[in-house]
Amino acid sequence: MRTALLAAAACAIAIGVAAGQANKPASGELPDWSGVWQMVGPTVFDRASVQPQNGRAGDPGVREFPPLTDEYEAIYRKNIERIKAGTFPDPISVCGVPHGFPRIMNVPDVYEFAVTAAATYVLAENGPGIARIYTDGRKHPPAEELWGTYTGASVGHWEGDTLVFETRGLKESRDNDVIIDRTGLVLSDAARVTTRLRKASDMMLEAVMVIEDAKALKAPWKVTKQYRKMPAGTWAWDYGCAENNRNPISGSGKTLTIGPNGKPLDKNTE
Amino acid sequence: MTFTRVIAAAALCAALTAPLAAHHSAAMFDDEKVVELNGTIKEMQWTNPHIWIQVVVDNQGQKTEWSVEGGSPNTLSRNGWRSNTFKFGDPVTVRVNPMKDGTAAGQFIGAKFKETGKTIGRWE
Repeated sequence: MRTALLAAAACAIAIGVAAGQANKPASGELPDWSGVWQMVGPTVFDRASVQPQNGRAGDPGVREFPPLTDEYEAIYRKNIERIKAGTFPDPISVCGVPHGFPRIMNVPDVYEFAVTAAATYVLAENGPGIARIYTDGRKHPPAEELWGTYTGASVGHWEGDTLVFETRGLKESRDNDVIIDRTGLVLSDAARVTTRLRKASDMMLEAVMVIEDAKALKAPWKVTKQYRKMPAGTWAWDYGCAENNRNPISGSGKTLTIGPNGKPLDKNTE
Repeated sequence: MTFTRVIAAAALCAALTAPLAAHHSAAMFDDEKVVELNGTIKEMQWTNPHIWIQVVVDNQGQKTEWSVEGGSPNTLSRNGWRSNTFKFGDPVTVRVNPMKDGTAAGQFIGAKFKETGKTIGRWE
C-alpha cells in the first residue's frame, strides 16, 4: 500500500512538471504583467554609477563605473575616445542586428511582457527585440551546444511572483558589434546575467540584474532597471528600422546623414 | 542671415534638448546650438526609425531644403503626433540642433505653425 502511494505521488509530480506547473508562482497564478511599459530614465545602463550624474549615453566623456578588469577598462576607455571623435557607431544603426542582452532591458520606446506557464517573452518595440525566458523546466544547453548569440539563452523559474532567470551564451563583442549602451560598454562571451524580474507595484516592473563575467569583470555588477506602466489602451507598434534608415555608417565609424537626393549631406563622408 | 536665427544661449539649449529615442549616435548634431528655420513644409516622411521633415527655406529667392530628423513615429504617435501633423505647404518655424559641419540638416526640437500659432515639441 505504502509503495503504491509513493508511486502515485511520484506520478503526480512528474505530470505536474510536464505541464509546467512546477514553475508557476507559489500562488498558482501567473502574475499579470499585461499592458505596455516604458523604461524609466535615459538609456545609460548603470545610472547608479554614471558620471556626470545626468550624463547621456553617447555624449562625449560620459561613463559608468562597473568593476571592469584592466583589459576591459582599456577597451572602454578606447571606446570613450572614439565617442569623443564621433566615430563610435551604434551597431543597431544598420537595422540588422538585435540589441542583445542585457541591452534589451535598456532601450527606449516601450515594452510588453508576455507571461505564460512555459515561457515569458520580453517584447521590446525598439529594435524590435525579443528575449525568450523558458520556464518549462528545461536546463541551459550544455556548453558544447551553445554558441554566442546577441540575446543568449535564458532559463528561469518563479520564486513567488518574481521571475528569476539566468542568461548565458552571449556573443562576445568584436569591434563593438554588440554593446550594452552608447557610453561604449561591452562584455565578453563569459558573461552570465542573473535577473530577478518582478512587479514592484501596480505601476512599476523592476529588473535587478547581477552580471558576472570572468573576463570583463572583477566582481559581480548589479544594475536595476524599472519600467513604468503606460495608460490603459496604449499601443505598441511595428518598428521597421530598415524602412527609411537615413543614417548609414562610414568606413571610419562616423554616422552619416542622407539628404533628400539620397546622398550623404555630410561634408566629410570618410 | 535672414532665414535663420542662431540662438547660442547654452542654458536655453540645455532646456530644449532632451534626448531623442534615436537608433544612432547623435554625434553629428550640435546640441549647444539652436537654429530657427522659417520656411514651408515640402514633405514629412512618417517612417521608422525616424521621421524626417523636409523644410524649404527661402532666403530672398535662394531656396535651401533642410532635412530635420525627429523621433520614431511609434513614440511620437503616443505623444499626440499624427502622420499628417506637417502637411505640404504648411508655413512653419522649426527649431533644430543643426549638424556640426554646417550642412542643412538638424535634430528636431519644436515647431510653430504660422497660420494657427499652434506649437509642437518643445517650444518656449
